[in-house]
Amino acid sequence: MHAPASPRLTAHALAFACAAALALPAHATPELEAGHTFFREKIEPVLRAECYDCHSAQAKKLRGDLRLDLKSGLLTGGNTGPALVAGDAKSLLLQAIRHEDPDLQMPPEKPKLPAAVIADFERWIHMGAPDPRSAEAKPLNPATDPQQARGYWAFQPVKAAPPPTVKQTAWPAGPMDRFVLAKLEAHTLAPAPAATKTELLRRVYFDLIGLPPTPEEAMAFLADTSADAYERVIDRLLASPHYGEHFARDWLDVVRFAETEGFEYDRSLPEAWRFRDYVVESLNRDKPFNQFLTEQIAGDEIAPDDPELATAAGFHRFGAVRRNAGNQNVAVSRNEVLIERTDIVGSAILGLTVGCARCHDHKIDPILQKDYYRLQAYFSATQEHSVLLLPPAERAPFEAKWKPLNTQLDELRGMLENLQGADRQRVTREIRDLEATLPPAPPSILSIRNEPAKRTPIHVLKRGDWDNKGEPVAPRPPTVLVSDDLPELPADTAAPRTALARWLTTPSHPLTARVAVNRIWQHHFGTGLVKTPNDFGQNGDRPSHPELLDWLAREFVAGGWKAKPLHRLIVLSNTYRQSSHSPRAAAATRLDPENRLLWHVRARRLAAEEVRDAMLAISGQLNPKRGGESIMVPVDEEQVKLLYKPSQWAVTQDPTEHNRRSVYLMAKRNLRLPFMETFDQPDLLSSCGKRESSTHAPQALELMNGRLANELSAAFAERLTREVGTDSAPVHVVDRAYWLAAGRAPTAPEKTLGVDFLRSGAPVKEFALAMFNLNAFLYVP
Amino acid sequence: MSHCPGPGHTPSSLTQTRREFLRDSACGFGGLALAAMLHAQGLRAAPAAHTNPLAPKLPPLPAKAKSVIFLFMAGGPSQMETFDPKPLLNELSGQSRPKAFGDVKYQFIKPTAKLLGTKRTFKKYGRSGIEVSDLFPHVATCVDDLAIIRSCQGNSVVHSAAQYELFSGRVVPGAPSMGSWITYGLGAETDSLPSYVVMPDPDGALPAGQPMYSQGFLPAIYQPTMFRPGAKPVLNLGLPPGVSPAERRRTLDLIQGLNRASADPLDEEFAARMNAYDLAFRMQTEAPDVLDLSREPQETLDLYGVGAAATNDYGRRCLLARKLVEKGVRFITVVSGGGSGKLTWDAHDDIEENHLRMAAHADKPIAGLITDLKRRGLLDSTLLVWGGEFGRSPEAEAGKGRDHHNYGFSMWMAGGGIQGGRVVGATDAIGLHAVEKPYHFRDIHTTILNQLGLDQHTLTYPHLGRNERLTFVEGKVIKEIV
Repeated sequence: MHAPASPRLTAHALAFACAAALALPAHATPELEAGHTFFREKIEPVLRAECYDCHSAQAKKLRGDLRLDLKSGLLTGGNTGPALVAGDAKSLLLQAIRHEDPDLQMPPEKPKLPAAVIADFERWIHMGAPDPRSAEAKPLNPATDPQQARGYWAFQPVKAAPPPTVKQTAWPAGPMDRFVLAKLEAHTLAPAPAATKTELLRRVYFDLIGLPPTPEEAMAFLADTSADAYERVIDRLLASPHYGEHFARDWLDVVRFAETEGFEYDRSLPEAWRFRDYVVESLNRDKPFNQFLTEQIAGDEIAPDDPELATAAGFHRFGAVRRNAGNQNVAVSRNEVLIERTDIVGSAILGLTVGCARCHDHKIDPILQKDYYRLQAYFSATQEHSVLLLPPAERAPFEAKWKPLNTQLDELRGMLENLQGADRQRVTREIRDLEATLPPAPPSILSIRNEPAKRTPIHVLKRGDWDNKGEPVAPRPPTVLVSDDLPELPADTAAPRTALARWLTTPSHPLTARVAVNRIWQHHFGTGLVKTPNDFGQNGDRPSHPELLDWLAREFVAGGWKAKPLHRLIVLSNTYRQSSHSPRAAAATRLDPENRLLWHVRARRLAAEEVRDAMLAISGQLNPKRGGESIMVPVDEEQVKLLYKPSQWAVTQDPTEHNRRSVYLMAKRNLRLPFMETFDQPDLLSSCGKRESSTHAPQALELMNGRLANELSAAFAERLTREVGTDSAPVHVVDRAYWLAAGRAPTAPEKTLGVDFLRSGAPVKEFALAMFNLNAFLYVP
Repeated sequence: MSHCPGPGHTPSSLTQTRREFLRDSACGFGGLALAAMLHAQGLRAAPAAHTNPLAPKLPPLPAKAKSVIFLFMAGGPSQMETFDPKPLLNELSGQSRPKAFGDVKYQFIKPTAKLLGTKRTFKKYGRSGIEVSDLFPHVATCVDDLAIIRSCQGNSVVHSAAQYELFSGRVVPGAPSMGSWITYGLGAETDSLPSYVVMPDPDGALPAGQPMYSQGFLPAIYQPTMFRPGAKPVLNLGLPPGVSPAERRRTLDLIQGLNRASADPLDEEFAARMNAYDLAFRMQTEAPDVLDLSREPQETLDLYGVGAAATNDYGRRCLLARKLVEKGVRFITVVSGGGSGKLTWDAHDDIEENHLRMAAHADKPIAGLITDLKRRGLLDSTLLVWGGEFGRSPEAEAGKGRDHHNYGFSMWMAGGGIQGGRVVGATDAIGLHAVEKPYHFRDIHTTILNQLGLDQHTLTYPHLGRNERLTFVEGKVIKEIV
């Protein structure tokens, strides 16, 4: 009754099988099966032996544009037309092997194939040329073959490139500028003039701490004519605790940090904020990046009792987790978790789309499906784990008390699913009573650990399907990045992730440092030297300045993998200090519309967090408190109703907490704050290496009618009135507002418009609201 | 067939640079107005026109439909109780499933569960004589407009994952939903309303939550606009308390004036921002009229069941959907069911009680919508899609309920070039497996795209190394109904 040809429809079989459609034709008849066998036994070996040298992906030079290693190649043929037409005894292929045409004798310069072989070909074509290779045929493409692809730039060692010589020798402030200038000169372009001090100050404040300079800071800087005035500002900003709060955003985007698990339950991860604080503090201390990575990849293996390292290993907990009631498919759920833990290493650290190789060998990059599962094997023993924040001696007694109760509770909760009426009430009561006897849970750390007894044997999964296991594999880095004879680690290696971290942070690793410095560059210039920060593979972008990328990567590693010196180097460069306006913009745009050569610095819109933080700052409402639990701000009731469980949004009681910096806002996957979403905050579900920056009407509605804009405009108006004095002329209000919101004095036309508006009797609050909507506020020059 | 982008692939123009993106936006809705404004000031016109992401785009293939209304029956309506009569199931009621029917995996019930017959009665309707159950007496009168697909399949038996797959082709969150893809592919035909609208059920949200409707990795410009239940259906559309429209108009003029005063008028971002404010103002003034049903004739209100207790809410939302389609809105999801499972089609406890109640909300409004679109000549260009994230088990759960079931269930399409009065595909004699012409969600998606003149292989967006598409892998057009 039930059709054998229908797709496998177990809940999971296709769930992640991105290549399900690659399955062989569902309706293979016995005749066709026989034909395929005939092809495999009689035809393919001959093609391989006699033809592939000139007519396949392995050919040094493909002859006649004809591929015989692909089914499609035979059918579409080469320069002389289709090699065969099914059933046609006059097919070109037959003519050629029969030596019918003196100009077309195959194989060339060799004796004619044996008559029996020719007869096989005739029979095969008569059968309709059955060819089972279809989509399964895998051309040996040099780009996707690990052995051949090692020459691709991103897999090559980072080169030591001396800064080039330039004509305009006065312009470069250091070696970095020479790389940029040399390229500009080679394209007959010139750098833009230097930005004004006002512009530069606003730019470097937002770039380094994500907040605007106060009017006093701006005025002091303008008045400071000493040679190192700018340098001192930079050092002050790099030392500011706001630095880590600001830069954390980049890394949290990349690791798709969130404080809930997503899916149906969107379960809260109440201790996830510790990871955010770990990132902020690590950045503030300028923790070497190799150490930063190592702690996140393997912190729990290195020092299981060290709270900082256990927190860092929370890195592995931020993939969305599907949990469901009822019948459990444990193996499938486990597979989903392992996929998340594997893919993120590719996107975040290697800058490679390894996830593409889960169902099949990567189509573009030399990453074998086997490589994918070898990478996954590093995580085979990982299990969720909470580290209790108790002195080690107190942990065991607590757990002894807590564990049996909790097991019992879990059992009761499980029972509840299938109960009704009085039984249900009784069990509910039991649960409540038991919960009351639970010892108060001490704070804990969201982390993972290896549990060897629960290790998942890792296999290559055909088409990514859990039920379709291929050969077993063990930990090993991707083939293209290691030598061919490197063996796999034993599957039960005690600390596999420590080994992974060691490999990732090898100073000579071709990807880790390049990917990291590219993210730093992107932070300052809007676009990376490689403009696809999560994809350094062959489908990604090629570096605009390959030598500069390598020079920066070497500086970074040589300097102990520290980010702050690199930021300092960049923001002190003349490349960074260019104006956003070039007098030669028209010509330069024609030559280099994307500004890849950096003939000016592009103005950028503030990111979602910066818009909100700056609104709080200039209205005098920013609560500078650092760290701790995340904040749930009030949102419209209608918004909360869109949650499956509205009770999950419990607004933080202390209203002063609502004005904390945006990095401290609750990152809930199923309730995204409309304000942040509309300004392109990413969706917290997959790694985001680069944000969109869109401009659309809901942003205008948010800044004019939204709750935050209107509350803060009232506060901003009050601040303005207070600071300039109630009797003060409108011109002083306008002046002060511009210094606060734009870091500069208003121009004459701006002054006139503002004063006229206020004189007409419009409330200061409306003027303050207008300031939030100014390009001069929302953009960094 | 390669699912990943080829080596020569260049990303969509949308992603090239922020600047280009903004320039593109700049030539949108208000582009002409802006050009006129600049001209009036004696300035050069705005930068040369580029493709505006929200400008209406010609589809690459011949199109039959311009808009889609998705009547989403959240929770999963039963195939056996609606559009797929199974007399044998009543005969076998109370027995174990005969082995010949094969195996399935359910979320809750055990393999030992007994089959459950249905109390519904079926009748033939229309010229086509298609059987429809007594749950849908009104929709049944439109059966000659419906193409019923009785062999639908999805990959997940769990709500959230199944809902993600129904909307976005993936069982995990994070991919764009149909509405976002289609807006990306076709742009907007309205400059005063959002192009992609979701009208959730006021009873509450669904397991998959907001990510189900969202634009995923597409730019925020393709995000859905939620017409939320309550006093303020569209976020930030109303003025804050205590602010008069005249006052706010003055503030808007000040903003535009100050921005103009300080910006290089040839700056593309300047142009984009000016436009965004123009559009925001238009939405603010024009959208409330569309949302207002108070001036609809009584006959129309009655047609949708507006005013009657059971049908008032879904009727209002269906009527609103028709008004939005009239104004050129591209994709509208009208959700039936929300909040706790009992308030959706998720009939675990009692299929009889649940489906009678749920169908009583939806039947008349849906029939009213079909009738109304038809008499206004809009049905030909509006594709209606009806269905849930899965169907229900032939076996009983908790005595008289049914569990989730993704192996074979019914959906239907109407209008938008769909051949009505047809049935395609079939489940086996107890409604367990789709045995004839099984169609997966990805085939539903492909067919929807096809009616709009879009192609799954060209409507793509690069994301983490892959040219992603709505259908994830490859879907096929349901040829029998187009």
